[in-house]
Amino acid sequence: MNIVPANFGSYPRVGDKPNQMRLREAYQKWEMGEITDDDMEEIYRDYTREVIEEQESAGLKIVTDGQLRWYDPISHFAKAIDGYEIDGLLRYFDTNFYFRQPIIKKDIERKGQIVSDEFLSAKKFTSSILKPVVTGPYTLAKHSIDNFYEDFSEIAFNLANVLGKEVKKLSKAGAEVIQINEPSILSNYDELSIFSEAFRRLASFKGDSQLCLALYFGDPAPLYEDFQNLPTDILAFDFTYNESLGEMIGKLGSEKDLALGLINARNTKIEKTDDVLTKIREITINLDCEKIYLQPSCGVEFLPRNKAFEKLKKISEIAEKAEGILK
Amino acid sequence: MRDKLSDLDLDLPILPTTAVGSYPKPDELKQARIKYLKGYLTEEDLRPLEEMATREWIRIQEEVGLDVVVDGEMYRGDMTAYFARKLDGFEMSGLVRSYGNRYYRKPIIKDEVQWIKPATVEYWRFAQNLTERPVKGIVTGPYTMMDWSFNEFYEGRKEACLALARNLRREVESLIEEGAKIIQIDEPALSARPEELSSFARRALEIMTEGLEAYFITHICYGAFKFIYPEMLDFPVDNFDLEMSNSGLNLTKLFEKYPFTKDISFGTVDVHDHKVEDEKVVKDRVKRALQVLRPDQIWIDPDCGLKTRTKKETIGKLKRIVFAAKYGRERIEDY
Repeated sequence: MNIVPANFGSYPRVGDKPNQMRLREAYQKWEMGEITDDDMEEIYRDYTREVIEEQESAGLKIVTDGQLRWYDPISHFAKAIDGYEIDGLLRYFDTNFYFRQPIIKKDIERKGQIVSDEFLSAKKFTSSILKPVVTGPYTLAKHSIDNFYEDFSEIAFNLANVLGKEVKKLSKAGAEVIQINEPSILSNYDELSIFSEAFRRLASFKGDSQLCLALYFGDPAPLYEDFQNLPTDILAFDFTYNESLGEMIGKLGSEKDLALGLINARNTKIEKTDDVLTKIREITINLDCEKIYLQPSCGVEFLPRNKAFEKLKKISEIAEKAEGILK
Repeated sequence: MRDKLSDLDLDLPILPTTAVGSYPKPDELKQARIKYLKGYLTEEDLRPLEEMATREWIRIQEEVGLDVVVDGEMYRGDMTAYFARKLDGFEMSGLVRSYGNRYYRKPIIKDEVQWIKPATVEYWRFAQNLTERPVKGIVTGPYTMMDWSFNEFYEGRKEACLALARNLRREVESLIEEGAKIIQIDEPALSARPEELSSFARRALEIMTEGLEAYFITHICYGAFKFIYPEMLDFPVDNFDLEMSNSGLNLTKLFEKYPFTKDISFGTVDVHDHKVEDEKVVKDRVKRALQVLRPDQIWIDPDCGLKTRTKKETIGKLKRIVFAAKYGRERIEDY
């Protein structure tokens, strides 16, 4: 079995070394109008190159652009979609990170590219697999204030169409694997049918790319078998909300390739290699898939940069050891 | 809860005005704090600048006419990090982002948490000696301290939170012993995991308050209240200090459905907007408050701490608070 060490999505923007503050400083100047959009873009490119190199030096085989341009995972998409206005701050799930809540004022329509330019720009800096990340239609709909539609499913399905077109663009741009983040379904199990239909609609745009459906910030166990029926190639799970999730997957197996979020991206405590290897053994006991991805439980931006790097290195180290001991 | 205020000899007008806690620091203090954080200055070096700034904010609050004042937290940076530095058992991490371009150092619980000595009492005493008006004692709550720290020591979130509550209670006791009658426990993280409210967050607040004689406020902001309301009304505090304006007073719809039973500090100006609200805007907010709450339940204050605003914006917003309360009091007389 091939164990692929991968990043999840976001990457810390600042670090304790002096040159690791330059993005923050530039952003401040850009906000004050002291530097131009072009200057800022140049800094984003340079910094993206740096964070990709950092992920590669940690030994990852699948890297991301670090989502450096995202104000947050919600408004970054909403501001690029017609029909939305951006409102005040709200806490993002159970994190101590805050997002700007978007308001739907009129019909949701595609305005232009959302993250595919970021993907193309970052692709120049790596020969590793670069994984673009898209906030899923259900999660985006759940975080929107609706002042226009009356039916929630209409919002989710319209967003599936808009975001699906972005998936298509990413696929055409050469994305081998595209990650769709749908944490909201794990706090709204009763809306599985709307979620599934929105995901199916989005997945119809995937072209030659593989889709990875990422489920985190909650326990996926109650819907595990339902997730297996969705048109995704990979299922990514966060193992930090349910200690017996590994045992359950070990018993039930998986039709899909799995991305195992066994490294906690919400706590600085570094996992013990043997503990993670034991978990991997438990999960894979009945699996006959070719590939397993080992990755953080969610974006590593919730960690300070030195710890994020340490955790990513740990992922690579464990992946290498696991290859030797698994069939 | 007016009776409780009277019992504590707190003679406050109807619709008392207050602030949440922090005010902007003067540039000289900001520069000095950077040097302090880099290890070039000691806490003692900062003290004269902190005292000068505290005097200034007490003077401003009196001039503007707030009924209950705060020390402005000139000695605090981040609300979690400040207490983490004062308690044993913590280390500080590198920077992590909270939103936009804002970052903070997140504490790491590395060992058993232990309260050593008061973290805020000297500053509270200094501020109270400058004014006849009551000064709030303000402590970051155990749930928020737990949720906003990495935990490398305790088995889980509950164990960390309750250990913090037992230790932070010592801070509350010290403030009350010194004479503080109004204690605010800041719990902006309280809505993080609604299922934890009943399993241990409520217990943590009980540990902080049980058997202690003070008017207790808890400040909660930027949370998904729909998940914790009305359950949170059971919490052992007298007053919930809530961010209302940044979310377009959405919470008032919930109050129509489930009546608010405690006192409320009603956030009447938005602290994340540079613009000082027009008079009409705050009038409308007070009108709305009076539609869904009894006048004797309401305090008027900003949504949250004002430290991210400029001094001019802060004074502008405080003046609007006082204006809003005055307008509200006139309307009450009209009833």
